[in-house]
Amino acid sequence: MPSALKHTLFIALPVLVIFAALPGVYQNHLLLFNFVIFLILAQGVNIIYGFTGYLPFGYVGFFGAGAYGFAVLVMHLHAPAIPAVLAAGLVGVVLGLLLTPLLRLSGAYFAIANLAASLAVLHLIANPALEQITRGPYGVSLSATFNPTYAYAAALVVLALTLGSVVFLKNSRSGLALQAVREDAVSASMAGVNVVRMRVIAWLASALVAGLAGGVYAWYVSVFYPDNVFSGEFSIFAIVFALFGGVASITGPIVGVVILYGIYNLIGFTTPQYFQLIYGLLIIGLVLFLPAGLVSLATRRGWHVP
Amino acid sequence: MLRVVVAALAGLTLTAQAYAADVPTEIKIGTLYASSGRFASISMPVYSSLKLWADLKNADGGVYVKAFDKKLPVKVVAYDDQSNTATAATLYNQLITQDKVDLLVADSGSVLTAPAVTIARDHKMFLFDQTGTGASFFSKDNPYIALMADPVSTIWPKPAADFVIHDGPALGIKKIAILYSTNEFTGTQANAFRKFIKDSGVPVEIVYDQGVPTETTNYTVIINNINNTHPDAVFTFGYAPNDIAFLRNVADVGVKFKMLFVIYAGLEKELLEKNVGDKGLEHVFTYVPPSDMEYPVNFGMNLPTYKAAWDKKYSDGKLEFGLNAVAGYTTGLVIEKALSVATSLDQMELRRAVFSLSGNLKTLCGPFALDETGGQIGELTPLGQLEPDGHGHLKFVSIYPHETATGKPVYPRP
Repeated sequence: MPSALKHTLFIALPVLVIFAALPGVYQNHLLLFNFVIFLILAQGVNIIYGFTGYLPFGYVGFFGAGAYGFAVLVMHLHAPAIPAVLAAGLVGVVLGLLLTPLLRLSGAYFAIANLAASLAVLHLIANPALEQITRGPYGVSLSATFNPTYAYAAALVVLALTLGSVVFLKNSRSGLALQAVREDAVSASMAGVNVVRMRVIAWLASALVAGLAGGVYAWYVSVFYPDNVFSGEFSIFAIVFALFGGVASITGPIVGVVILYGIYNLIGFTTPQYFQLIYGLLIIGLVLFLPAGLVSLATRRGWHVP
Repeated sequence: MLRVVVAALAGLTLTAQAYAADVPTEIKIGTLYASSGRFASISMPVYSSLKLWADLKNADGGVYVKAFDKKLPVKVVAYDDQSNTATAATLYNQLITQDKVDLLVADSGSVLTAPAVTIARDHKMFLFDQTGTGASFFSKDNPYIALMADPVSTIWPKPAADFVIHDGPALGIKKIAILYSTNEFTGTQANAFRKFIKDSGVPVEIVYDQGVPTETTNYTVIINNINNTHPDAVFTFGYAPNDIAFLRNVADVGVKFKMLFVIYAGLEKELLEKNVGDKGLEHVFTYVPPSDMEYPVNFGMNLPTYKAAWDKKYSDGKLEFGLNAVAGYTTGLVIEKALSVATSLDQMELRRAVFSLSGNLKTLCGPFALDETGGQIGELTPLGQLEPDGHGHLKFVSIYPHETATGKPVYPRP
């Protein structure tokens, strides 16, 4: 059996089936929805960081822009939700194209520039001068499209596309080329890899994923402010979850989200007073003992982790 | 005959048992608080005052619940959202779907209330919105919300605007400057203030009108720019950190505006005094919050009694006593009064009960009045000025409306 099919059948499909079935047995649907959103975002981070080495601290910029892309289409063009979600993905891609020059930077410089870019987008959208278009800082209310059930289903579709993309990257020459670029761009170029094109493709794919996620998030929550959808915590959580599980793999970000976001909510529901302590210790422990993520526990022993 | 009596007795017993089974042992009130993050300073006083109300009621045997014709203790089920809106959304859902709370109370402020508005509506749960004043929350098609303890943003600055409109020309106020932080709370207030002034037709020119990011911490250049327009009055709408930075920079630059209005000098006076100092707050115009103005009450404690209870419970001084420190208590009073008139715990019946209080309930926050969408329009904060009390401290002088005024404005600022 080809490994791509194996990964789809034994990793991606079970995740989708589980999250499709869970609303039937667990009533806190928004919690499940947030799990799906973070699965998408963590895989989005995986695409750009895991396969190219660019750490996107301002990843939330695409997410927020997607949410507002959705909102603008619904508010002004009275678009149905699904075309608006697609437009949200497009907004993410367009923003990604605008920010393509950032790829000239690397390491911490890229991370900081990306963070600054996301703040710039936030302040552009929250600017009172754009009130007629984005409602500026005053928030949007999208009661016309409010439908949590369909929004959850749409989030699952976006998750399926995202997982499909990661499975493709993991099992294709393109993914291999990207990893070669991440390890040594000069050598990869010498081997015939078009470094710039590969990086841009990964960057735009990552932006598309976040834009689509922002669109379905806007669809689900329907009332939000710029501060809600541009909250830096989306970036931080997505990055931490991806790193916790292990990047450049299909399972790493999934494991990271399920364990870390699960613990996050478990602590939040049971012992919120110890939240910072427990969560902080977990992350310190990860950085000190498992810098390559949980999957490195297996790879160190020579086990193959998809 | 005996069979009939036995059957009737059995029926009565079963009914009584069924009734007993239906009567809950407590009323569960679900809410969130932010112990950390950017909203902790406004959230914790609100939550603490709601807890104070619950503790006082439980010490007294609970609250009277008309639906069961008996007193029941209240249990506050609360989670920490850490000022994170995604977490807040999940936790609101947890309160409704897992904890199955009887009443849902929002966290403080519009940003953390926003997720609750949609979720409450989706679950057909009436939302006791404590201080989320966002205008977008209130619409005719959403019956599941009412604002408890602050005026809705679109009406809040009316006393300040009315002062400029009615008393301004006589004082010589012809040119005003407006500076605001670009977020929902302060941006909406600035918009409303501007609209009140323009709609009035009063000959007052707006010579400076600028929004700046909420994260702004240095206003030096802005202050000079405002000063260059020679305004007769400067109105700034910002959060507490904005006001602190602005007032410090005004002192640093050495500019003396004839009239300077800031929101939080009044709403969180203790906090501003600690960070700006009394000298920097002298003659500053601001809102007079219910924590510094005694309103006649027809339900609950009046301000002095409540302040004594607050000081007794939170004697360590870690929580500032300001507007937010009375907001949670006011929410508790509305809940208590609503439970005493609601014939069931059905959410629409609770809404009916809350709306029936509009115009009839007077708490230490002022007269409780709702518009048809659930927006609070009764608890308006008057315009006041901070003046030296002669003992080295500052006191509020209420300026406008005239009915509640306790003094005349000091204009221009000496």
